[in-house]
Amino acid sequence: MPQATPVVEGLFTDTANGPRLTGSRCAGCDMPYLPVSALCHNPDCDAPDLQPAEFGPWGVIWSLARQDYPPPAPVKFDEPYQAYAMAVVDLDDGLRVLGRVATDDPESVDVGQRVELIIDTLAHDEDGKELSTWKFRVVEQGAGA
Amino acid sequence: MRDVAVIGLGMHPWGKFKDKSVGDLCRVAVDQALADAGVAWREIEGVAAASSRFSGGRGWGLNGNDVVDDLGNTGVPVYNLSAGCAAGGNAFNVGWSMVASGIHDVMLVVGGEKMPKGFIQTSGVEEVTDPEYLRQVCVGMPGPAFWGAMCRRRMAKHGTTEEQLARIAVKAHANSVHNKWARFRKEFTLEQVLGSAMVSYPLRLFEICPVSDGAAAVVICSADIARANSRRPVWVAGSAVATARFDDGIPRGLAGPVPAHGEAYHSEAALAVEKAMAMAGVNPPEVDFMELQDNTVFYELSFPEEWGFCKPGEAEGLMEAGETTPTGSMPINPSGGFQSFGEATTAQGIWQVCELVTQLRGDGGGRQVPGAGVGLAQALGLGGNGSAVVMRSEL
Ligand SMILES: [Zn+2]
Repeated sequence: MPQATPVVEGLFTDTANGPRLTGSRCAGCDMPYLPVSALCHNPDCDAPDLQPAEFGPWGVIWSLARQDYPPPAPVKFDEPYQAYAMAVVDLDDGLRVLGRVATDDPESVDVGQRVELIIDTLAHDEDGKELSTWKFRVVEQGAGA
Repeated sequence: MRDVAVIGLGMHPWGKFKDKSVGDLCRVAVDQALADAGVAWREIEGVAAASSRFSGGRGWGLNGNDVVDDLGNTGVPVYNLSAGCAAGGNAFNVGWSMVASGIHDVMLVVGGEKMPKGFIQTSGVEEVTDPEYLRQVCVGMPGPAFWGAMCRRRMAKHGTTEEQLARIAVKAHANSVHNKWARFRKEFTLEQVLGSAMVSYPLRLFEICPVSDGAAAVVICSADIARANSRRPVWVAGSAVATARFDDGIPRGLAGPVPAHGEAYHSEAALAVEKAMAMAGVNPPEVDFMELQDNTVFYELSFPEEWGFCKPGEAEGLMEAGETTPTGSMPINPSGGFQSFGEATTAQGIWQVCELVTQLRGDGGGRQVPGAGVGLAQALGLGGNGSAVVMRSEL
């Protein structure tokens, strides 16, 4: 089976411990950055450089939304269109990040649910090639804590 | 600093105008504003204009230069201001700054827009270095879904209901019936709003604003000139712009730090409003009405709380009690708001000033806030741009 291609390179990776988002963290003030950042943007911090950092997989849904109509470009989706859920997730390691929620039942997703980072199919490109992205999967309340 | 007055306003009605250019729309607004002020084009000493990426401006946001070419090249200085959807608000702030500081005595502030069809993508670039682009490609969260996410958070926290959201739209449209410049001048029942298509749960089609074409202009001048020449000056008590703070937790791009202080809020809007109110020397109880940027009905609940007009979780109750109608204790968007106008993005901040002037002159007709003496307007734009203005009927 051919490998899925990340929809954008460099934002996530599958490690020996599972999927992680790949960004940076400031050595001075601990601020997390995704995508990778060369400099810290915290106005109260003058640390000279940032370190590579991995984020995830555990977090909590801060809020969420449902895309009830086919969105305009450049959003990618396969036909026939199916409404999807996306969430704003507060990861345990301090990053607030957006991501789709992998579920067949967008209505079952809710604020406060525990989630786990996964890598999953986003859509297929015009040649039928599978494009992947990070998503979140709802897990049991205490998972990973 | 000198006192500054608005002495003339003009607008082209909001709508979709296939056969008109953005220049046509601006010309209508500017001609009206000059006539209302009793000022000739040659007397304008400076033009502050909102820069658009959708229409006019020759691809460089030179929308003020388009207006000058159209009205006649007097050699007048032009300041083109870009601030996403807050550009009109920023242009007003720059015009006010220049008159207040004595650089110019009489200025024109103008914004016009012809919008493409459909919901807009907020960012204008498709590059992986652009966080807005990444967010659309990797996740897919267009504007309405972003608003939906903000609203879901509120529902979880304060128990906001779908019916309460719909009631805000009903209130907005009840005001629009009395506004000749509004695009949708029609009352909606609760059932009609709740029956409109779901766009991004819990937000329905009639609870978010579409894009529109429109143009607005005001003539501003120093107090001396206003007192000598104008029968109906309205005074700028405070004008401010701001940008978002690092520690605000609104999920604007792809990711950011979880805010240390708790809830997310639009810090650029709150900062601009705070600054404008401090400059005017007013507190929330002294503000008789506000025009806030209601891209979705949700903002009529969140903004008043973020600005200290009521406590967190109180906005729904105030709305249900009728306090946000023109005759209530906290009138919001007597114009009908973005809900009734649609968003002609960069013209919005100047249209809001026109509504403030209309109300403070007592010209609001069926949507008049009784005894309006102090009004607040606020706009918000891509890049974390916020603007606010406080105006008074009397100095
Ligand atoms: Zn730092």
